[in-house]
Amino acid sequence: MASNKIGQKKKGKSKRRGASQWAVAWRRFKRNKAGIFGLIIVMAVFFVGIFGSFFAPYPARPDPHAYDPFYDIDPITGIGDVRKPPSWMDPEEPNSWKYLFGTTPIGTDVFSDIIHGTKYTVYVGVLVTVITMVLSIAVGAIAGFYGRWVDNILMRISEVFLVFPSLLLILVFVRIFTVSVGEPFLNIPIINIQIPTGLTIVIVILGLFNWASNARMIRGEFLRIRELEFIEAERALGAGNIRIIFRHILPNLMSSIIVVSSLTIAYAILLEAAVSFLGFGDANTITWGQILQENFSEMRIVWWAEVFPGIAILLTVFGFNLLGDGLSDAMNPRLRD
Amino acid sequence: MIPVFLGISIISFFVMYAAGDPLNIIRLGRPNITQETIDALKVYYGLDKPIPIQYLTWLTNLLQFNFGKSLYGGRPVNFLIGSWVWETVKLQLISILLAFAISIPIGINSAKKQYSKQDIAVTSISLFGVSMPTFWLGLILIIIFSFQLGWLPSAGAYGAPYLWWDNPILDEIAHLILPVTVLVYVMLAQNIRLIRANMLEILRSDYILAARASGLSERKVVYKYALRNAIGPVITYLGISLGAIIAGAPMTEYVFNWPGLGRRYVDAAMRLDFPLVMGINMIITVMTLIATLIIDICYVYINPRIRIR
Repeated sequence: MASNKIGQKKKGKSKRRGASQWAVAWRRFKRNKAGIFGLIIVMAVFFVGIFGSFFAPYPARPDPHAYDPFYDIDPITGIGDVRKPPSWMDPEEPNSWKYLFGTTPIGTDVFSDIIHGTKYTVYVGVLVTVITMVLSIAVGAIAGFYGRWVDNILMRISEVFLVFPSLLLILVFVRIFTVSVGEPFLNIPIINIQIPTGLTIVIVILGLFNWASNARMIRGEFLRIRELEFIEAERALGAGNIRIIFRHILPNLMSSIIVVSSLTIAYAILLEAAVSFLGFGDANTITWGQILQENFSEMRIVWWAEVFPGIAILLTVFGFNLLGDGLSDAMNPRLRD
Repeated sequence: MIPVFLGISIISFFVMYAAGDPLNIIRLGRPNITQETIDALKVYYGLDKPIPIQYLTWLTNLLQFNFGKSLYGGRPVNFLIGSWVWETVKLQLISILLAFAISIPIGINSAKKQYSKQDIAVTSISLFGVSMPTFWLGLILIIIFSFQLGWLPSAGAYGAPYLWWDNPILDEIAHLILPVTVLVYVMLAQNIRLIRANMLEILRSDYILAARASGLSERKVVYKYALRNAIGPVITYLGISLGAIIAGAPMTEYVFNWPGLGRRYVDAAMRLDFPLVMGINMIITVMTLIATLIIDICYVYINPRIRIR
């Protein structure tokens, strides 16, 4: 009986060697139009995030040239280009590409702000997800693999994080830790990259509060895989716990981890936008939520400064959600036909 | 339950210590304060005792519904919460009930006709809803319906001159429409996805086939046999939403300037008004835990396979 099963397993493996698991998933994914659409959005967001500063009409915020529209004074009215509606719907503006998404009350170009905000969005999404996934894989693996009282304690802790509406605690923690930030940007000397301090604090807090549901999912998978026969076989061959966790269980989880990561990025972007919109974000980094927050009080006039950053958030999150759904359809073995 | 309560109470309590010396806030606003006054305040607030003792004092006070006083204005926290909570409960209760009443039939229909035009429309709209920032939907509705069209009020829960034929009840309804729409849409999106996914799995199971084969009407198969099994996670979600009801939706309340607890929580967190923040947190915790307990009991009635050991 047992030898028969092992034989089957081997057969299955050699059959699949022609096309790896990932190639099969990619082939299935390519057929999913919604998933491809999501992938295109995600790639576009990453592209704008990395290369955006090269084609934005105005530079990013600390640079004084970001306020150029403010000093573009009209000889008749004597006012700069503040609160200008999107140029293509402004009858008085001859150049319909001048301010694609209008200008804000402080005289910045909304389109440029959105482009410069993209890199922060990517930064938030990726870093929150990395922190979340590392934490949740660690907790899920330990709880699922070792079981018993370790599992019990870790799951009680995760319940604490699940039951409570986490946005409330996130707000307080963010406020506490950003209220006394000194330097707005941390310089990393060798690669010459500036890291926004306040935003990074927000990211770490978001990551620390987000791991619980993912950890429970990973724990469940660990519980399931731990009982499978190939693990027993590995153990019989003398493999230690660490080897079994990293070489045999985690690779089996890779597909679900990728799917969950994509959805977590989407959620993280939404959460950061919410935190920034409520005024708890880092005022030195103009994320999309920050643009919404800055112009909220003048929304009656400068509605374009609320609509377009929101569309940017919506599209990005939608893209990551579509990608996640598409990936889960492509990689779920139960749906494979 | 009790470990969860203690866990959240510990987190809530140490939120305060994460901020450093609580008296710093008092010191910041009053540069001329003397060291003697600080020391007196320290004794008055019990900050001279060791931290575990402070935690226990706070916890026992909490169990006697004594949440302390707000750092701003000095009014007792439970009085403040009591005066704000009703607007939030009103808003939330209406939205939650509406969302669940609408989402269950839509989710079931969507699952019954998987990949039909209706299903694709519903799933894409709900995926859109999951992807949309709650507050942004509120902003858009305000821009369209109150600023451009001028039909509905943009903020608050009641008007000084009553809207809509000078009637206080109609005025309240006018103020409720936009925030309720936002909350319902967001909950709807999540609910429909949840119900649809569960129903899809269950409608394919053998016992449904058996029920159909024995000649039961479609309505009976779906609503009596399938729904009972599909509703579990939805009820859990309902329980969590009901428990978190007084947490309100801080974002929605902020956008619509709703005079409720969620909006006040945002203000309190911004000003680091710890007694208020901790008090609200603990009430939410207790309510959520009670709600989950009730839900667990409900499970037994919905799904007789679960037995309380």
